Amino acid sequence: MRDELKTALDKVTADDALRQSTRAFLARQTGDFGAAKTRPHTARRFAAAFACLALVVAGGTGYWAYFSPTCAISIDINPSVELGVNRFDKVVSVEGIGDDGEALAETLDIRFLDYADALDALLADPTVEGYLSQDEVLSIAVAGENEAQADAILAQAETCAAGTRNVYCHAADSAELEHAHEAGLSFGKYQTFLILQSLDPSVTAEDVQELTMRELHDRIAALDPDAALTLSGGYGHGSGAGNSYGAGNGTGTPSGNGAGNGNGTGQGAGAGNGAGNGAGSGSGNGNGSGNSHGHHGGH
Amino acid sequence: MRSEQEANRAIERYADTVRRICMIHLKNHSDTEDIFQNVFLKYVLSTAVFESEEHEKAWFIRVTINACRDLLKSFFRSRTVSLDTLLDQPADLTETDRTVLDAVLALPPKYRDVVYLHYYEGYTAPQIGQILKKNVNTVYTLLNRAKQALRETLGGDDDA
Repeated sequence: MRDELKTALDKVTADDALRQSTRAFLARQTGDFGAAKTRPHTARRFAAAFACLALVVAGGTGYWAYFSPTCAISIDINPSVELGVNRFDKVVSVEGIGDDGEALAETLDIRFLDYADALDALLADPTVEGYLSQDEVLSIAVAGENEAQADAILAQAETCAAGTRNVYCHAADSAELEHAHEAGLSFGKYQTFLILQSLDPSVTAEDVQELTMRELHDRIAALDPDAALTLSGGYGHGSGAGNSYGAGNGTGTPSGNGAGNGNGTGQGAGAGNGAGNGAGSGSGNGNGSGNSHGHHGGH
Repeated sequence: MRSEQEANRAIERYADTVRRICMIHLKNHSDTEDIFQNVFLKYVLSTAVFESEEHEKAWFIRVTINACRDLLKSFFRSRTVSLDTLLDQPADLTETDRTVLDAVLALPPKYRDVVYLHYYEGYTAPQIGQILKKNVNTVYTLLNRAKQALRETLGGDDDA
């Protein structure tokens, strides 16, 4: 067996091409034996390590770029929710502030959506719609270091809000945002709180935490109607009602106009005819039923 | 770093040895070429001083076996392969040669080295132990098992 193996293996030889290519390789790698002193092996290993490092750095940067919010959208009714928007206009965080805020945040499935879609989804959310239908005020505040992006988001928010009553949008700056978080308030609420505090220094952040935006606005309006106007470019709501059932007491003249002068002079508190979009809807609700069931009832 | 003359001399002297070790471990030509480049580059860059030709030869065998193992470790490879892809000059081989080589290649890798070193290079078990950094008794065991396996496949008697 030894001999057989020897004869067989003897025939296995390195051919000239292999030798030649090895020589060429050695000359190349060693820079013609000493002309260049670099050790290619080390270089290659470094290249690999460097490539790995670059990959990690790129991955890390990507992760960071994607997951670090550059803008915050603060949405307040009383449940307050803050959306973090990254530089690619995606919502990367949904954070509720306060217990009911957290509950709302959990029901919302808007992470990784475009912020425009997220806002649409949020306004269409049953909970939010429920609040809005109860005449609550929803405020959307946009803050961000990147002004161009913040402006774009604000514009988009205004478009989204255009079809909905009682939704107000405003811009903010990121330093205030930090203060708001320190006070345990969402941003939009914090801004409103500041206005209220300027009118009534005794108010503290804790007091405000439990209040809805509507209540805040009302308190501000009660203290200073003008301040209420500055909140969001004119905001008012007439709470009067004047629905004159008319029942005019026709005085015999066939043209009984009914002239229902109901007493209820609608006294909309806000009477927001300030900067425009306040709509005092005062409508008196006088029940004055005229007697005189004459021939012609008032129209 | 060694000179070009030294490198050429080493290639002349040890290319066949390196080639045989590659043959019993690797399956294709480009891997073999890799090993050649690695081994001889290592030689050129190495500062080891060799006391004798024997010493130098043992160094080459050791380095080649390690290089082959590293290469095999770094890829997912199937273990067996037909001779035709292994050899660039299969025409020279007779039927017996093929049978013998096939039998050696059919052995698990750890047996192939001892078979090669013992039968072809004629090293004794203690020398093999030194080259492979293995206990002498381990080498004996490996040799015996390899012999047995070869005897089973080749059927022939054993003159070692």
